[in-house]
Amino acid sequence: MYGNGYTSPEEAAKQKPDPLAGEDLQQLALFEERIAKGEKIEPQDWMPKEYRRQLIRMIEQHAHSEVIGALPEGTWITRAPSFKRKLALIAKVQDEIGHAHLLYNAAETLGKSREAMINDLLSGKSKYSNVFNYPATTWADVTVIGFLIDGAAIVNQVINAKGSYGPYCRALERICYEESFHLKQGHDALVHLAVGTKEQRAMLQDALNRWYRPIIHFFGPSDKASVHGTLLMKWKVKMASNDDMRNQFLDQYVPKIRELGLDFPDPKLNKNAEGIWEFSDPNWDEFFATINGNGPCNAERLAVRRWAEEHGRWVRKALMNPNQKQVLPLS
Amino acid sequence: MTPELYNFILKTADDCFILGHRNSEWTGFGPFMEEDIAFASMAQDKIGHAWLLYKMLDENPTAAETLAFKRAEKDFKCCHFVEQPIGEYDFSLMRHFLFDHADQLRYEMLMNSSFEPLAHFAKKFKGELKYHTMHADTFILQLGNGNEESKARMQSALNFCLPLALGIFEAYEGEQEIIAQNIFAGEKVLQAKWLEKISPIIKDAGLQMPDMASLQAVNGGRHGFHSDYLQPLLKEMREVVDAFPDAKEW
Amino acid sequence: MQSFDPRVNRIKPIEEKTEMNIGEAWEPYEVFHQKKRGDHHIHVGSVHAPNAAQALLFAKEQYGRRQNCVNMWVVKTADVTQFQYDDADIFETAIDKEYREAYGFKVRDKINAYKKANP
Repeated sequence: MYGNGYTSPEEAAKQKPDPLAGEDLQQLALFEERIAKGEKIEPQDWMPKEYRRQLIRMIEQHAHSEVIGALPEGTWITRAPSFKRKLALIAKVQDEIGHAHLLYNAAETLGKSREAMINDLLSGKSKYSNVFNYPATTWADVTVIGFLIDGAAIVNQVINAKGSYGPYCRALERICYEESFHLKQGHDALVHLAVGTKEQRAMLQDALNRWYRPIIHFFGPSDKASVHGTLLMKWKVKMASNDDMRNQFLDQYVPKIRELGLDFPDPKLNKNAEGIWEFSDPNWDEFFATINGNGPCNAERLAVRRWAEEHGRWVRKALMNPNQKQVLPLS
Repeated sequence: MTPELYNFILKTADDCFILGHRNSEWTGFGPFMEEDIAFASMAQDKIGHAWLLYKMLDENPTAAETLAFKRAEKDFKCCHFVEQPIGEYDFSLMRHFLFDHADQLRYEMLMNSSFEPLAHFAKKFKGELKYHTMHADTFILQLGNGNEESKARMQSALNFCLPLALGIFEAYEGEQEIIAQNIFAGEKVLQAKWLEKISPIIKDAGLQMPDMASLQAVNGGRHGFHSDYLQPLLKEMREVVDAFPDAKEW
Repeated sequence: MQSFDPRVNRIKPIEEKTEMNIGEAWEPYEVFHQKKRGDHHIHVGSVHAPNAAQALLFAKEQYGRRQNCVNMWVVKTADVTQFQYDDADIFETAIDKEYREAYGFKVRDKINAYKKANP
């Protein structure tokens, strides 16, 4: 489950004024021609350094988001209220780990080891989707995450599956297929609350109220002005602007909440005559504060991952083969 | 259904249900991503087996939910072994190894059960259980033969687990009738087969089997006397259900 | 740290820096699955594992838990030899090799002409 690549101010500062400096222009022309024709780039291909750097950043953030995304929903794994919900939730959280696995492999083909990526996650150097820094405080949160966050992630992932990097596209194809199960099970569980007792319904409305802002934040701040016509769009690393994806998401999902007689806590949330969804100022300062480590759950998420890595170390070490080679997955 | 058959199926289901619940706690916390995925699948399998068995006890569509989410602790018939918290991965793996060999052998024996629905399930569960023991054996052999730390961890996990594992084979009410009716050959027969199966693997893993005769089985579960861990486990599992007493569906 | 997740409250999450050492992620194996008997094995992705037996165990759940599968292969990635994409032009051909395709051989017209001439 992933919204969109987020470039922190520190990362933006690292951006060279001329990202193509020193590149072989003949190779670059061939590379761009291939992308323009709709062909995929494979790991062994020549690629500009900036393309490699941006893709690693993005796929890695996506992978971290899956690993961390397993935690808020996992919060309810021991408390799911029926056999079906229990099994579906275990399977769903398991899939998130499975997605992380596919994505780390895809990112590795670009030359960064799994160990290095995990370490950048644990140290806080790499980012992950902001939405997972909020707690899942009730069972209804699981249904809202399953339906709306997964729904939003699908919008992003379907678009990105048409990108230019072969391994990422292949991983996303499989991920999108599994996300359709996530969405269905999330919707099913959410509808059961919406049509249940008034207490069940109240719990759901409360969850919608709390998750509304993180959901609006999910695709990141507006980048329309900055991305159109940029290298990333041309190279099909970034496939749509944050605003376009958010709009597509709201268009698909707001009606599905409203048809249940429920709503989001924003009187300004409405589609204008041009088909654009408008909403109240979602306080982007909160978004930046959270992504920079000051959200309600950042510390817990990383501390839990550190526990898992530290307590799994003896298993990994004991099984290490002295002859093992440092190689990258093929594709 | 006779009370003894009911009791036999119930305790078999309770073991799988509680162990599956426990093992699902590892989801997202495992030592390695690939292993996290494998362990979560096996937890689902166990809960799935329990679900099918509960449904066998009562055709009422909500009966399985009631058995899992509303039944009093003393009416559970699981052994203490499955109730233990997941602890560290050495304990969870050793429990998985010891329990799943018993589970696999139990269903192998049940393939010839005179109670046809059980024989049917035994055949259906066969493939999943084969994977579970294959997974467990691979880990036990490698960690036992791994480095000094893993060997020591696996040995102490084995020592800790064995008395608890013997609780799997505790006699239960109506066992004599179950044997007489050719439903199941009995816990003692299963225990002997189990010991024969696990001993060579433990040896190949470079671990020491303690003197079995000196071990005291941790019993009580089959008669509704549980460890201190079951009640909090059930309370946690039912937190949502209990908070919404009027809710009909989830 | 009080968590909403009871599982987290049972462990002691780690605040201090911790790292995964190089080599702890083992090494990659490529995974091929066969959907049904008679089909080819098809490459589906990779797993990291300490050895082939373990790689198979992992592959089974990561690539077989959702789809039909009757068999799987795993191959150490380091043992795979491949062409370079740069050399993809070796697969191009100068002339249309119709002499090695069924469509390159058409004599129906000649037969019809012969039959017409020799009724």
